[in-house]
Amino acid sequence: MDESVQKTSAMLEVSQLVGYYADLQVLRGVSLVVNEGEIVALFGPNGHGKSTLLKTISGLHPARGGEVRFNGQPITQMPSHKIIEAGLAYIPEERHLFRDMTVLENLNMGAYNLRARQSRSQNLGFVLSVFPRLAERKDQLCSTLSGGESRMVAIARGLMSEPKMLLVDEPSIGLSPSLRKAVFEAIAKINREKGISILIVEQEIRDALSLASRVYMLKRGNILFERLKAQVDLEEIEKAYF
Amino acid sequence: MDSFINAVVSGMISGSLYAAMALGLTIIYGVSRVFNFGHGIVAVMGAYLVWTALNAAGSTAWFIFGALIALAAMYGFGLLVYRFTINPLLKKPNWEISTVLFMLGGGILLENLLLQAYGPRVKSYPEFLKGTLQFGPIQVSYQEITLFVVVILAIIGLNLFFKYTYTGQAMRSVAQSIPGAKVVGIHIDGIFGLTFGLAFLVTGFSGVLLSTKYFLTPHIGWEWMIKGFVIVAFGGLGSTNGAIFAALILGIVEAIATLYLGAIWVWPIWFAMFLVVLLIRPQGILGGRV
Repeated sequence: MDESVQKTSAMLEVSQLVGYYADLQVLRGVSLVVNEGEIVALFGPNGHGKSTLLKTISGLHPARGGEVRFNGQPITQMPSHKIIEAGLAYIPEERHLFRDMTVLENLNMGAYNLRARQSRSQNLGFVLSVFPRLAERKDQLCSTLSGGESRMVAIARGLMSEPKMLLVDEPSIGLSPSLRKAVFEAIAKINREKGISILIVEQEIRDALSLASRVYMLKRGNILFERLKAQVDLEEIEKAYF
Repeated sequence: MDSFINAVVSGMISGSLYAAMALGLTIIYGVSRVFNFGHGIVAVMGAYLVWTALNAAGSTAWFIFGALIALAAMYGFGLLVYRFTINPLLKKPNWEISTVLFMLGGGILLENLLLQAYGPRVKSYPEFLKGTLQFGPIQVSYQEITLFVVVILAIIGLNLFFKYTYTGQAMRSVAQSIPGAKVVGIHIDGIFGLTFGLAFLVTGFSGVLLSTKYFLTPHIGWEWMIKGFVIVAFGGLGSTNGAIFAALILGIVEAIATLYLGAIWVWPIWFAMFLVVLLIRPQGILGGRV
């Protein structure tokens, strides 16, 4: 691999990141890179810092050491609303929808940052083409949606922020196999058609591998190993979970 | 029967004024979860500022100009109160209690500053419209009709603001999910600040309306605030529609109780209804958010 080429096209560079969940140190110096237009999967057992890593990168948890660079710009101490404006969107596993608003209102809130407001209607068109189901549900309150539909709204709302990169936290959790497939297809389409870089945390290893070009394994707050897709050994990954 | 109908009408009018007064309380609570124990004095302060504009102005045009400045000052005061007092308190543990005590103390301080500035004597706004509308058995003064219409317009305006502006939508978003609001890039502190500004403006304006129908002293705010508390708890903390609905019900109950039993029964009946609602529906009749 040519190191220098990889460096110049990096969309997200995390180096020696230290992060906490409340008073507990969860991230013990995590380093990883996601290149422009790339899909990278992050695996790891529960409670070993995957979600905390995504939240710390997106400014929702404070970083207590190390550095995060996004699109060449340091964002380590940036407040979360500035990070989104810079083009890095986080899609939480918990979804955090606005339950008493309609699907359409939720999507419009996704375009809250000043950059995304300009292109709100184009983005809405794209998002509804990725998730046609949401077009049928657009005037429904989010509190009345099914789990799969809520997940679609969460992803779609993230897309409305006109991101250059998405951090997606366990998009398939709790979904039926067919919905899971739909969600993974949507993520592939987002990457293919918009060139959006994606860092995805996933428990469904095979599904995630079908999307990603590289994987990282996060264990006990450290990156245990990094593999190109061609080098992935499923046994090695499964072993890391125990 | 005629007097009953008239009691209902006059109850709706005072209820609408209570609704205007309770809105600021429920907006702040709905968005930021801070319960403003100085709320009544904020209403009183707005009423005094506009009263000052009225007395300084030589003409209607100047009065409107002065009243707008006074309301803008209430907005600015809300921003400052949030930025320099509530915001630092929210960053500390036990902010639920510390903000309540701070607002209570701040309210007492403000009450006494107003007492120093304006004196203890009762002030009142002059009647701005004379005459009474006679419609069948209903008798209602033009002035009260105007107050009612102004409240309805203000409520419609607020609803449009919450529904169609980015800032209003952001306030609703924060009320429904702070983590969700952060995820879409809303600056929570900024929205809290704007919410305080908006709520102080609305509350100050409601103080003007209330003292147009009733009267104004530095101390009257506490009584208004207790009414506001009952209304927002009755309608569901943080729910604007619930507060409007509850205020109309309680206004009508107040007028009917006064008619048949005497004014002394208003508070006992209010609180009895309030307790029953709390027992059956602790979340209020329309429990919900902004």
